[in-house]
Amino acid sequence: MTQVKNILFPCVGIAIFLVVWEIAGQYMGETLLAPPSAVAVDYIGLIRDGQMLSELVVSLRQMMIGFLLACVIGMPMGIIMGRSRIADAMLRPWVSMFVVTSTAALVPVLILLLGTGLALRTTVVFLAAVWYIVLTTYNGAKGISPQQIAVGRSFSAGRFQIFWKIILPSLYPYLVTGARIGLVHAIRAMVMAEMFVIIGYGGLIHQTGLMVETGALLGLLLTLMIVSLLANWLLGVAGRKLAPWYEQQRSIA
Amino acid sequence: MAELSANIAAAARPRAGKGAQLWKDPRLLGLLSVIIGLGLWELAADSFSALILPPPSAVLARFFDPAFLPRLLGALGYSLGALVVGFGLALGLALPLGVVLGRSPTLHRMFDPLINAIYAIPPVAFVPFLIIWFGLFFEGRVALVFMMCFFDILVVVIAGSRDVRRSLVDVGRSFGASRGQCLRLVVFPALTPFLFAALRVGSARAINGMITAELFFAAANLGQIMKRSTQAFDTASALAVVVTICLLGLAAQTAIQLLERRLLSWHLRG
Repeated sequence: MTQVKNILFPCVGIAIFLVVWEIAGQYMGETLLAPPSAVAVDYIGLIRDGQMLSELVVSLRQMMIGFLLACVIGMPMGIIMGRSRIADAMLRPWVSMFVVTSTAALVPVLILLLGTGLALRTTVVFLAAVWYIVLTTYNGAKGISPQQIAVGRSFSAGRFQIFWKIILPSLYPYLVTGARIGLVHAIRAMVMAEMFVIIGYGGLIHQTGLMVETGALLGLLLTLMIVSLLANWLLGVAGRKLAPWYEQQRSIA
Repeated sequence: MAELSANIAAAARPRAGKGAQLWKDPRLLGLLSVIIGLGLWELAADSFSALILPPPSAVLARFFDPAFLPRLLGALGYSLGALVVGFGLALGLALPLGVVLGRSPTLHRMFDPLINAIYAIPPVAFVPFLIIWFGLFFEGRVALVFMMCFFDILVVVIAGSRDVRRSLVDVGRSFGASRGQCLRLVVFPALTPFLFAALRVGSARAINGMITAELFFAAANLGQIMKRSTQAFDTASALAVVVTICLLGLAAQTAIQLLERRLLSWHLRG
């Protein structure tokens, strides 16, 4: 019964949303809000046209560079901060300063420094994602129970063994959660940077907006939504494969 | 109980010499780290043109420039206007909606996937849409601030309302509390920690939305100062705006934290 509810109820919710949107769209007209029926037609056109998907692939590939850099630098940084009090004290002010500074505010300055090419977009994505990855990893590394490490010590495990066999496995859930949160911010930053310099997928959104085609515009947003949900889901699956104990600790997010 | 164990832990800690303790003070180390960082930046800026990377001293000097400071503060005031209206609207709508969706299992099952789906769309992508609907000026900026923080607040409030322990509500019921009393006396107090979490996340996102709007819509207020100074290659002024936004964010986080400590002294953060 609960399973039926779990599938049926969301469908009802989405159906209600679509009906309300359809009525509102019909009433307001396509220049203000294209109804779902019109978006569906436009969406097929967008896929046939091919520009949307090709821009998306290019943009995502460039985003991955910034995101992976953020993981490679952010995760060790979070672990070091969580395990060393001195590193924590030294790095904390920088992390708390950067995490509240919106990346959008940095873009005009970064354009002067880096131009409008790949370096800019990679840097923006990196700066948007890295601090969340650092903070999530940090919380995980800080929360490792001293007992577990003491057990390792009393079985005469060396520093490396303690790191690889105790610290890292108990960090997996946090690493996956950090990557998920980081990815959300990476996708947001990608679109923001691209809309700023009018290039790639974000540029496409900007141009479609200028033409006041709300059907195509909503189609572009729909693709973005699918990509974001898919990426999040994939990371969740990867997390469960990597660490079967991931589900139990999901509440940390 | 927790106090007792903290006392025991403090007593058990080995005592270091006074000098060593001073060195380990995290605030001192943090300050030192910031000073070192700014020093390195100052040195590095020497080998760049001031147009590209001005030294921190030049950025600081901007704040004491009598021609620049009033402009900056005036713009900040106008920026805060859109911020407060947008953030207030988002809070006013997301809080009741979040409580309703979180407390009703049926509504939660129906709308949770939908909310997650909309939440997955980067809010900036709505900018062209918001321009069509609200124009390029104040209303548009308020709308973007709203879009930026509404779903973040909603998601936290829903999670908080679902988290209220059943046993707490049951105790209220067995003492004969009505539905309304349960909500007011049990659910709302249990929700407050999440409310502060929502405020923290929401305020950061709202500030982000404010400056994004000022750069993406018709350039205005802080965003306008920023755009004009980068066009004139006056990077020091642009960085001064960045510093202002950073300070605004830090101030908001600190204020919320202080308020939380004062109002929620009963809530042990674990």
